[in-house]
Amino acid sequence: MVEREGVEMDEFERELREQLQARSAPAGFVDGVMARVPERTRRGTWWSIGNVAPVWRWAVAALLVAGMVAGGVERDRQQRIAGERAREQVLLALQITGSTLRDVQQKISADGRRESGQRDAGRNTRDEAVR
Amino acid sequence: MDLSTQQFRAIVERHQARVFSIAFRILGEAGVAEEVAQDVFLELYRTLPRLESEEHAMAWLRRVACHRATDALRRRAARKDTAAEEYQDGMGLRTRVRDFVPLMNRVEQLLLTLPPAQRTVMLLRYQEDLEAEDIAIELKMPLATVRSHLQRAVQLLRAKAERTLKEFSRG
Repeated sequence: MVEREGVEMDEFERELREQLQARSAPAGFVDGVMARVPERTRRGTWWSIGNVAPVWRWAVAALLVAGMVAGGVERDRQQRIAGERAREQVLLALQITGSTLRDVQQKISADGRRESGQRDAGRNTRDEAVR
Repeated sequence: MDLSTQQFRAIVERHQARVFSIAFRILGEAGVAEEVAQDVFLELYRTLPRLESEEHAMAWLRRVACHRATDALRRRAARKDTAAEEYQDGMGLRTRVRDFVPLMNRVEQLLLTLPPAQRTVMLLRYQEDLEAEDIAIELKMPLATVRSHLQRAVQLLRAKAERTLKEFSRG
C-alpha cells in the first residue's frame, strides 16, 4: 500500500513537472520591456556613470581625490604665508613702537637734566647775592 | 554587473518564459501576468549593478516574480471583483473562474485552486525544479513550512485530479 502510494506520487509528480514547464511569454514581450527601459538610462548621459568601465571610474575618483588633496595643501600653504606676513607686520610695529618710546624717554631725560641744571644755577646766584 | 542594453535584452530573452510563467500561474490572467513580468524586468534593470552574476540575477528574478505576482493577487482580492463567477469546491477552497481558464492546462487550472503560498511553493518545486531547502532560502520561509506546503498541495491536487477524472469518465 505504501509502495503503491509512493509510485502514484512519483507518477503524479512527473505529470506536474511536465505540465508545469515554463510557457512562452506573449509575442512582443521583450520589445515591451525594452520600450519601458528609461531612455535617459539606456543612452547614458554625461553625468551617468552606469556604463563607464570600472577602471575609468577608479581613475576619475583618484583624480578627484588628488585634486582635493592638492587643493587642501595649497590652501594650507597660503594660510601659512599670510600668517607669517601678519607676524612680521606685528613685529615691525612693535619695533617701531619700541624705538619711538626710547626716543621719547631720552627726550624726557634730557629735558629733566636741563631743568635741574638751570635750577641749580639760579640757586647759586641767589646765595651769592645774599652773602 | 555592468551591462549594455543589448546584454540586458539577451537576459530578458533568456528568462522571459520563466518570469512570465511564474506570474501567470500565480495570477491566472495573461494580461496582468505580462504587466507584472515586465515590471519585474524593469526592477532587475535598476538592480543589476548590485547583482554579481547571471545566476544571482536568475535567483533574484524568481524571488521577485513570486513576490510581485502575490502582491498583485492581493490587490485584486482587495478590489473584490463581483463580475467574477465563484464556486466552492469539495475541498473547501474558493476558486474564481474567469475567461482565462481555457488558456490554461488542467494542472495549471488545479494549481489556481490552491492558496497562494502553496501555489508559489509548488511552482518553485515543479516549474523551477528547486529542492525544498532552496525554496526555503529563496522565499525566506522555514524549511518545515515549505515541506508542509508541498506535501499538502500535492495531496490536494491529487485528490482534485482523481475527482476530475471520475467526473470525466462518468460523462
